[in-house]
Amino acid sequence: MSYSKKDEDAEQALFRVDRTSVFQEARVFNSSPISPRKCRILLTKIVYLLHTGESFPKAEATELFFGITKLFQHRDASLRQMVYLVIKELANTAEDVIMVTSSVMKDVSGAGGRAGAEQDIYRANAIRALCRIIDGTTVQAIERLLKTAIVDKTPSVSSAALVSSYHLLPTARDVVRRWANEAQEAVLSGSKSSGFSLGFGSSAAAPQGSGMTQYHAIGLLYQMRAHDRMSLVKMVQQFSSGQVKNPAAIVMLVRLAAKLADDDQQMRKPMYQLLEGWLRHKSEMVTFEAAKAICELRDVTDQEVAPAIHVLQLFLTSPRSIAKFTAIRILHKFASIKPATVNVCNMDIETLISNSNRSIATFAITTLLKTGNEASVDRLMKQISGFMADITDEFKITIVEAIRTLCLKFPSKQAGMLSFLSGVLRDEGGYEFKKTVVESMFDLIKFVPESREDALAHLCEFIEDCEFTKLAVRVLHLLGTEGPKTAQPTKYIRYIYNRVVLENAIVRAAAVTALAKFGVSAKDGASVDPEVKKSVVVLLTRCLDDPDDEVRDRAALNLRIINNSEQEVAEKFIKNDTLYSLPVFEHQLIMYVTGDQSTFSKSFELSSVPIVTREQALAEERNVKLRSADTPTLKAPTTGGPAKSSAGAATSTEVSSSTIANTQKHAQVLATVPEFNPYGALLKSSTEVELTEQETEYVVAVTKHIFKEHLVLQFSVKNTLSDTLLENISMIATPSDDNEATLEEDFIIPVAKLNHDEVGTIWVAFKRSADEAYPIGSFTNVLKFTSKEIDPASGEPEEAGYEDEYQVEDLELTAGDYLVPAFAGSWENVWEQVGAAGEEATESYALGTELKGIQDAIDFLGKKLYLQPLDGSDVAINATTHTLRLFGKTLNGGRVVAQVRMAYSGKNGVALKATVRAEEGGVAAMVVGGIA
Amino acid sequence: MSGLLRRMCDWLLRLFWATEMDITMIGLQNAGKTSLLRVLAGGEFTIDSIPTVGFNMKKVQKGYVTLKYWDLGGQPRFRSMWERYCRGVNAIVFIVDSADLDSHPTARDELHALLEKPKLAGIPLLVLGNKSDLENKISVDELILSMNLEDIKEREVSCYSISAKQETNLDAVLQWLISKAKK
Repeated sequence: MSYSKKDEDAEQALFRVDRTSVFQEARVFNSSPISPRKCRILLTKIVYLLHTGESFPKAEATELFFGITKLFQHRDASLRQMVYLVIKELANTAEDVIMVTSSVMKDVSGAGGRAGAEQDIYRANAIRALCRIIDGTTVQAIERLLKTAIVDKTPSVSSAALVSSYHLLPTARDVVRRWANEAQEAVLSGSKSSGFSLGFGSSAAAPQGSGMTQYHAIGLLYQMRAHDRMSLVKMVQQFSSGQVKNPAAIVMLVRLAAKLADDDQQMRKPMYQLLEGWLRHKSEMVTFEAAKAICELRDVTDQEVAPAIHVLQLFLTSPRSIAKFTAIRILHKFASIKPATVNVCNMDIETLISNSNRSIATFAITTLLKTGNEASVDRLMKQISGFMADITDEFKITIVEAIRTLCLKFPSKQAGMLSFLSGVLRDEGGYEFKKTVVESMFDLIKFVPESREDALAHLCEFIEDCEFTKLAVRVLHLLGTEGPKTAQPTKYIRYIYNRVVLENAIVRAAAVTALAKFGVSAKDGASVDPEVKKSVVVLLTRCLDDPDDEVRDRAALNLRIINNSEQEVAEKFIKNDTLYSLPVFEHQLIMYVTGDQSTFSKSFELSSVPIVTREQALAEERNVKLRSADTPTLKAPTTGGPAKSSAGAATSTEVSSSTIANTQKHAQVLATVPEFNPYGALLKSSTEVELTEQETEYVVAVTKHIFKEHLVLQFSVKNTLSDTLLENISMIATPSDDNEATLEEDFIIPVAKLNHDEVGTIWVAFKRSADEAYPIGSFTNVLKFTSKEIDPASGEPEEAGYEDEYQVEDLELTAGDYLVPAFAGSWENVWEQVGAAGEEATESYALGTELKGIQDAIDFLGKKLYLQPLDGSDVAINATTHTLRLFGKTLNGGRVVAQVRMAYSGKNGVALKATVRAEEGGVAAMVVGGIA
Repeated sequence: MSGLLRRMCDWLLRLFWATEMDITMIGLQNAGKTSLLRVLAGGEFTIDSIPTVGFNMKKVQKGYVTLKYWDLGGQPRFRSMWERYCRGVNAIVFIVDSADLDSHPTARDELHALLEKPKLAGIPLLVLGNKSDLENKISVDELILSMNLEDIKEREVSCYSISAKQETNLDAVLQWLISKAKK
């Protein structure tokens, strides 16, 4: 009782701390003699302030810092410890912190001439402070000190030195890398001290027994060797043989091993064996990490994952909640990738549904939803409905979200899930919960066309009795966009008009707008039934008497548009199907708002935001939603460059959005060249292709721009020679024989002059003849210029130069240059439709052994063909065979559908058979030919 | 028992008479500040000491006076910080390498720039020509000329020639310093 009271007082005393008074009190540092107690309290206040987010201005921080340096005259160990803590915090803001280096070094080296034990108290703090105040140029001065500290027998000192080296690595890479031997020694000695404490069990040795230095040392060693895979492999193998005792350190090794297995196909087998061995480790932490790592291996086989699943299954029946939770969480995540393998645990998981810990229960249900087959889904739904009433809204939301992902994955089960969703929609619940349910139904409507009518009916019922204005408005908006496309639009009109009669002004306004949409649009672009139109007009006219301004205004505007004879205006206005690419829009707005003052001088360019069609937006949304199931996990820290492994999944979605953004960007550049104005709008720009090595005399790269009747090549040339000046540079691009007839050179815009390191742009324009829509083939490119040497003495170029030529690599014009990715709800449908109307071409290829696996081949095809992968086929699930389904459009709008069957074997590489169907003549053969 | 009494006696005396004084030691790099401090504190002279990064702090007890020496680094980057450590001290000791004539103009300019700071007005200054054991050193008079000490007004200034290596003249230095503690 009394204790807690005291604690409260202390809390209050700290609470009153403010920056100015602390700064005033800092006089205490300069008083003589020093009172260690007062100073320590003041230092504590400073640390408290810094940790609560207060920051001292530079001048004040510097002043404080120099005041604190005066405290080095006092020998009180705990005062010194506080001094170091504060110096460490102030090191970033105060100036001239280097000033204390000598004094700190004295403490680190232990030359204070005091009893070892007392000095050990603050030696670790001194080391940590030292690495903050030192700068890159002076690191060498402390090299010897830190080296000795790393191998110090006191664990706290050794750990501090290792962690400090870790922080110094970015600033003084070369110096710190020389300490590898010491770090290695620290790992080994860490195990020794641990063995000692286990043997004797003395209390004094207990802190040594943790072996935490091993963890720190391995972390440092990894950072040092991150760029050298072979030495990493060696390190993991060496340390995995039992010298490392600390569980945290082994977890680190597990992560490293997993990363190595992921990066290098060859290392996979030995690393997997290590991981499997760790599954049997006596520390749970290590077991879990190893199981997780195995589950996350790329294209893991059923056989490989079986032992990990088995271990996790054992933990499911553990009496401790935390173990159960961790196990079910890993299984839950893995179940999204390979539900079949998790199936064996279903018995154990089912008992967890009734677990009193709701986090475990929720994970159990969602896992079961994933692993279950068609039949068990229905059974589970029933089970869940039974207990939905007992759980809180947050858990309900998790479950509803799991069901939503399930709907997108098994569209065939939509009926059962829809009735479940409508059931919970009728239950009691807060706004967040209802919102999730309504959004799930929205997704069903958007992505599972079969469910549309039923879902809309449920939503209509929902708004009849909906207490949340926001949700009612959203539902009405959806009814407005989706309703007219259904067979019986009149059904919905009744529901919507009921809102106009019964609800508040906000809902009424939304209802009016929704109504208007029925007046102009109908199923598949057919003209509106005059009956429907007439009744909409009647209803809208009634709304003109509404007491609310907004409702009346909307009604009047929409009436006017509907009655307008020009159908096109109405369609464009009410049924707007294009929207801004929201991610790009957001990004540009942020750039605009956070830019410096000068950006505000001109207004925000809305035209620079790319516009996407609803189709494309939906495609991206769906991809995101399907992936949201797997959350990012903590991988071994990577240095330099993003992890390669995650790139695979990201590329395919990027393909579609980046092509658009890319073309938009280039359109702006092209608009600045007046010669291209008559060519019309830019249809597509390719990514930049390099035609030379980076190290050659002249570095050339090219971008292809396709216009309606023209092709423009944009060569960017860089002069890397320091002693020559190039003048009158042009590019002779000659089409190869077979398409000479179809491409006719229009003009060349040369570059007048290029100095050293300057980049110039040469434009070469061709006219595409009308006979063949999509010419493909190659160009031979010769750079022509006048070269003048620069006199090194005067820096002036010579008078007379000489003509020279420089041949760069050939440029390929491929099928991919004429294709843009597009999205369709069902690949099957498009495949059949296009198959009926167009032509088909098939070809087989062997891509050779350059591509390491199926995923590489998928990425390669995505880049080469510029088509959108559908049905989630852009992620390889099986390591040996895969079917990639692609969809896109030509620049003229003709649909192109492709199915690529692939097989991979380590000996022969990737072999594939591609079948392409296209609406336009000749396109199918061209696309198939464009693969290799 | 008598030991205890004497310690009591000492403690009482210190309680009433003990004084602490702050002394700042500055000078260009390689003038011998850190070495001199080590010798003053009763240590051995060593030739190879590493350059001071920042400052060293040492307390030395002489009778009832505790001398707190602040030995500051002499490299150009630390010179701007000398003033901070000179404020409110009992004495400033400026050390010059009397055998390195090339450094004298810089030393003179740095010294005079420092003394112009208003916050340091009136603090006694002791200029020491160190390394008097070397062949080509200059005498005290020459040092006074070369440092322009005649120009310094309204401040007590002394100048000695010393050698930290051979411990010449160090007693005089200590005497001078302790005499400043009385103030």
